[in-house]
Amino acid sequence: MNRGRKILLLGLVVGLATHFASYTLRRTYDPSSLDGQLAWMKSELQLTDAQFARIRELHEASSPRLRALASRVAQMQAEFVAFENTRRQSDRVDFIEFAHFVETRRAISRECLDSTRRLVLESASQMTPAQRALYLGIVAPASPEASSVVH
Amino acid sequence: MPGAPNPDRTAMNPSPDPLDPLLDRWRPPEGETPSMAPEVWRRIGAAESRKGVLASFWEDLDLWLSRPPFAALFVACCALLGLFLAEVRVNRHEREQSALLARSYLQLIDPLLKEDVVAKSP
Repeated sequence: MNRGRKILLLGLVVGLATHFASYTLRRTYDPSSLDGQLAWMKSELQLTDAQFARIRELHEASSPRLRALASRVAQMQAEFVAFENTRRQSDRVDFIEFAHFVETRRAISRECLDSTRRLVLESASQMTPAQRALYLGIVAPASPEASSVVH
Repeated sequence: MPGAPNPDRTAMNPSPDPLDPLLDRWRPPEGETPSMAPEVWRRIGAAESRKGVLASFWEDLDLWLSRPPFAALFVACCALLGLFLAEVRVNRHEREQSALLARSYLQLIDPLLKEDVVAKSP
């Protein structure tokens, strides 16, 4: 192989090595864990260490409650499907039980909204106006009320 | 004596050669000399093109890359191209990753949020 072709091959090797090294050395976040989500938020909103520590504390404090609420919401959805199946099969509805179900679901929904709004407002209060605007843009689908209150 | 030189031809005053008037009248043909160079180059070009475009390309490439400044420039350009393409790939991956993280975060903070609402959010 002559010199020119060796240089051509060397260029290709150097280009590929640079590409893969640069791509694999980038930091990635785990979307399925709270740590990954908070680390992403820190990078996205450019939070300081102090802000991040406080926001992490808030999320860790409310996370078990939110998970419990999510589990109850899933349970209520399953109960509703069971109600609907019973109504279709027997063409009868136990109105007292259904009213109780609706009331429970309403209470859980209220609790969910309150928990979400509280977490969003407390987190937003730790941020600068620019960070807050970005954060509220991210959480707008979850808490439009909180977004409007802060704005 | 046979084979001996003709005394007439070796004399000091030879008789005039019949070719001389013809040679005196000869002139180079006008217009042929200027067109000779382009014709020569045309023939050289035709001969080179018969060698094949690919062979010529590799020869040129070898010639350029065998010079150290061009070789260094080529390797540096390859490294920069690799970095640029990695940056493009990382940007696209980060956009997808950010959307996924935002969806996961929304689902974490709002248990009531439906999948379709989260999926439609930017």
